Amino acid sequence: MTDLAPATAFGVAEPREQSFGTLSLRERPDLALASLALAEDPAPLPQPFGVTLPEPGRMALGDGGLAAVWMAPRQWMLLGEGAADDDFAACVVTAVPEACVTEQTDGWVAIDLQSDDGAAPLARLLERMVNLRPEALTAGCATRTLLAHQSVFVLRRAEDLVTFLGPRSAAGSLWHAVATAAQRLQG
Amino acid sequence: MTRIAGGLIDRTRTLGFTFNGTRYRGHPGDTLASALLGNGVQLVGRSFKYHRPRGVLAAGSEEPNALVTLGGGAGRTSNMRATMVVLTEGLEAHSQNHLGSLERDLLAINDLAAPFFAAGFYYKTFMWPRSFWEKLYEPLIRRAAGLGALSHLPDPDAYDRGFLHPDLLVIGSGAAGLVAALAAGRAGAQVVLAEEDSRLGGRLLAEGGLLDGAPAPDWVAAVTAELAALPNVRVMPRTVVFGAYDHGIYGAVEQAAPDASQGPHQTLWRITARRAILAAGATERHIPFRDNDRPGVMLAGALRAYANRWAVTGQARAGDPVAVFTNNDDGHRSAAQLAAKGVPVMGVIDPRPEAVSLGDYPIFAGATVTGTRGRRSLQAIQVTRNGRSDWLECGVLGVSGGWNPNVHLASHHRGRPLWDADRLAFLPPADGPQGLISAGAAAGQGSTAAALADGLRAARQVLDDLGRALPPVRLPSAAAEPDGQAAFWHVPGKGRAWVDFQNDVTVKDIALAHQENMRSVEHLKRWTTLGMATDQGKTANVTALAIMADLTGKPIPETGTTVFRPPYSPITLGVLGGGNTGAEFRPRRLTPTHHWAEARGAVFTEAGPWMRAQYYPQPGETHWRQTVDREARAVRAGVGLCDVTTLGKIDLQGRDACAFLNRIYCNQMGTLPPGKVRYGLMLREDGHAFDDGTCARLSETHYVVTTTTANAGPVYRHMEFARQCLWPDLDVHLISTTDAWAQIAVAGPKSRTLLDRIVDGVDLSNAAFPFMACTELTVCGGLRARLFRISFSGELAYEIAVPARYGAALMARLMAAGEDLGVTPYGTEALGLLRIEKGHAAGAELNGQTTAQMLGLGRMVSAKKDSIGAVMSRRGALAEDRRRLVGLAPVDPAQPVVPGSHLFAPGVVQSLDSDAGWITSACHSPHLGHAIGLGYLLDGDARLGQEVIAANPLEGQSVQLQVVSPHFIDPEGARLRD
Repeated sequence: MTDLAPATAFGVAEPREQSFGTLSLRERPDLALASLALAEDPAPLPQPFGVTLPEPGRMALGDGGLAAVWMAPRQWMLLGEGAADDDFAACVVTAVPEACVTEQTDGWVAIDLQSDDGAAPLARLLERMVNLRPEALTAGCATRTLLAHQSVFVLRRAEDLVTFLGPRSAAGSLWHAVATAAQRLQG
Repeated sequence: MTRIAGGLIDRTRTLGFTFNGTRYRGHPGDTLASALLGNGVQLVGRSFKYHRPRGVLAAGSEEPNALVTLGGGAGRTSNMRATMVVLTEGLEAHSQNHLGSLERDLLAINDLAAPFFAAGFYYKTFMWPRSFWEKLYEPLIRRAAGLGALSHLPDPDAYDRGFLHPDLLVIGSGAAGLVAALAAGRAGAQVVLAEEDSRLGGRLLAEGGLLDGAPAPDWVAAVTAELAALPNVRVMPRTVVFGAYDHGIYGAVEQAAPDASQGPHQTLWRITARRAILAAGATERHIPFRDNDRPGVMLAGALRAYANRWAVTGQARAGDPVAVFTNNDDGHRSAAQLAAKGVPVMGVIDPRPEAVSLGDYPIFAGATVTGTRGRRSLQAIQVTRNGRSDWLECGVLGVSGGWNPNVHLASHHRGRPLWDADRLAFLPPADGPQGLISAGAAAGQGSTAAALADGLRAARQVLDDLGRALPPVRLPSAAAEPDGQAAFWHVPGKGRAWVDFQNDVTVKDIALAHQENMRSVEHLKRWTTLGMATDQGKTANVTALAIMADLTGKPIPETGTTVFRPPYSPITLGVLGGGNTGAEFRPRRLTPTHHWAEARGAVFTEAGPWMRAQYYPQPGETHWRQTVDREARAVRAGVGLCDVTTLGKIDLQGRDACAFLNRIYCNQMGTLPPGKVRYGLMLREDGHAFDDGTCARLSETHYVVTTTTANAGPVYRHMEFARQCLWPDLDVHLISTTDAWAQIAVAGPKSRTLLDRIVDGVDLSNAAFPFMACTELTVCGGLRARLFRISFSGELAYEIAVPARYGAALMARLMAAGEDLGVTPYGTEALGLLRIEKGHAAGAELNGQTTAQMLGLGRMVSAKKDSIGAVMSRRGALAEDRRRLVGLAPVDPAQPVVPGSHLFAPGVVQSLDSDAGWITSACHSPHLGHAIGLGYLLDGDARLGQEVIAANPLEGQSVQLQVVSPHFIDPEGARLRD
């Protein structure tokens, strides 16, 4: 194990957190990411770690904090909660040897937006963030879209939980955009 | 005070406000305009050109005169329509466009010179001398003619933006809009109801009519309550829909509630609606007559609105008689209602000989108003009938020339409104925006009963389209309204009769424009400025067209309208910015070592969205060049570290990755073995150089392509296009890993020694890991990493990549481990210096106009295979370009080398024809002790040793340079292979 100390996307040791009334933001540096692409093949899709590879606009949840998000034709992002310190991409290669797998963990900053008051505050915030119909933002939806001039994945993991995946290098700008909107809703 | 009984204001509370410093009082429910009228203030502004005294003309969005500046300091906002400003406690308003006080405007002298300021005045007068325009004429005109002024301070207000996706957007909440929203809401559709006013109801609040036998506002309140209770209906008051865009997208600006203490001041909404109903109502037109712009002359419908909704009658003194000048029955309603409220009505002047009184007021049938008197407010009007003129005392005159449906949004896609000869009005075009239908007064169905029914008709049509059934909606009963009118457009005669109040355009100006051959309505507009500025001629345009038609002898529909464009109502530029200002104006990308560099006092520079460390000043260094020279020397003498994460990294895998790359790069990439890196050049389709970088083959089917920082996005897009569209048959998969890996350049003769101290058991000797080798490995006790032996500086050098979260820690570890080696962090300035010394091309050389040959890389374009741009690079114009990349050094070492200078042979006359090239990059070389540069020079490769002149004609600079090899340092390349 390396003795180098990792830093979060904000350049510090501890994940960033902030609360705004019923909404709270939390950085998720523990979330491991790996992209998985498959060659054209009529055979049924593999199920890495038992997770079904979802349709466009959707995400699929598996056991143990695993999930899969559709990214492009025959390309998915696999998510592993608490697995960022492992070589997650290598685990995915083992699970699906025929896939082209790329480590993506540090390509992104993951920010959880949790509501203590159900779906309503999230709906009010999201309509100020992304140009998506509410139907594309229900639980289980996952869409890549423009958010504050950045290309961001909006993952609706549950009624009361959204995860934004944005470019890690622009983490500060993404946080600012979401925090400002949350702050205003609180007002 | 000219308040009367009734109205929709809260008399139990008063609000204090100031206008031009004078304190006044109003009530909740007032607008600034109604509160001023309630205090007997008729003079509210000065006109644009002649500085004529002007008063409130309208009661709504169309107001051309009553433009005020609100607030002071940084937060002040100019050109606000007093008719749309909700009165709040402490409101501070100022009139605009005058020198000295509003009452004694010194610039009113312009009015005396009016004969000189006729249509086309600017075009005719300020033609010559040309040099006077910028310094003399323009400042003068701007001083004398204009609207409000900016604060010139940063806007302290917060703005936001958002997105809505309703099934139906209803624009306007009058009779038609309310019924449509109610029906669609009851049907379960997702509805957005946008209303520009602070209160729902539209003209129902102003007309004083009954619905189901009760005051119309009662019905409005009941519907408002039901809409508020429907979860699928979103009611948005204070929201103006300002534009209709493609694909059912509408732009809207929502103003915060006046009592909101937090949150955004204004919100820009992008509304994507499956269907839209335009129920924006209609705007009353006036009838131009001599001196019709005196404060106290207003629209007859506004007169009635002020009386019914705000309980004010608009005279300077209560008890002054009120009159109405109208060519239609609707104007009579104002007189009848005012008379019924006990206001002294002097009479209705109606040019129709058959006109009769419809209430308790005298009628002047077959008569016109031919003049007004009064200094800053109306005192008398001249009524002319059968050749006889009489001056009659009058404190307020309401004028009605009929109603124009608000067809603007329906015409934003260049649809031309249709003339309806029966209604004497333009109706919405048949070819308006797809999915938008007009209803109510906006569609020419202006009576209350007709508007209610038409709102329901529109709702039925929309619900049909949406596949929903129309639910039961009972329409309230409304009394019939007489709707006779005559095509009477203006009162002919001497003097000035104003058509466009905001731009000071008279009937005579239109006649003059016509006389000067401005026959097209578009020319008329530009020549006279009719219909321009903040009100966009809402009260003027159709009247002007009718007068124009009169003059040309053409019917009105043939005269046509000008083009309608967004915004429908004026909106602030701040809100269009969407709320991003200052450092957050756009996303900023930070490198993994950003905070580390910041802590060391680095100076940063922008590279696109990236912030990069430019140099790291040390104590005692007083000039950036001292710092940069030190950093560059440290690299060539020992070892330096530079964060190069910003260079694009594309992870490329698949069975056909090799074939794919061979088509993307112009040079041979198919022969690259695993464990090796190759320099690659990409061409555009047109054969010009696109981008350069390295391609590392990590395994048989796995590559990492690097791009320049600027082209990381474009190269990825280019490759994605090729993959998806050109060769979908190839099995290739791409994904960007730019952010995923922190990459640090370790450069200098001691770089191997330093890296040896952190890698986990990898032999870095020249034999085991030669120039252009690459490998996956671990460092610092097991951290996965990638190592590339590549060099931008020309020295023995490596780039090492680790997961981004470890980037800063790796940088710190390398600094610590290399302390005895003199390890030095260096920024982009030293990076650039080192590459210029080495003759490597960068953005300035790859500017999109250069070819592989120009770069000296012509032989890289392989003839043994096809690749993007290869064929086009061989076409004559490109293949015959004789300019070549050269190095340039001053003959006198004390002289500078200035990038951007153009190169000429000594002694020639410097012109475009004799231009032999230009300098792309330059720097001071600490290793050579003088300035050096790179540039493209005609036949440059054959001119080594010759002299050229670097000229900068703009600055009068001229420097003698010697043409040399672009490789100033180690031309044989021994160091990087060492």
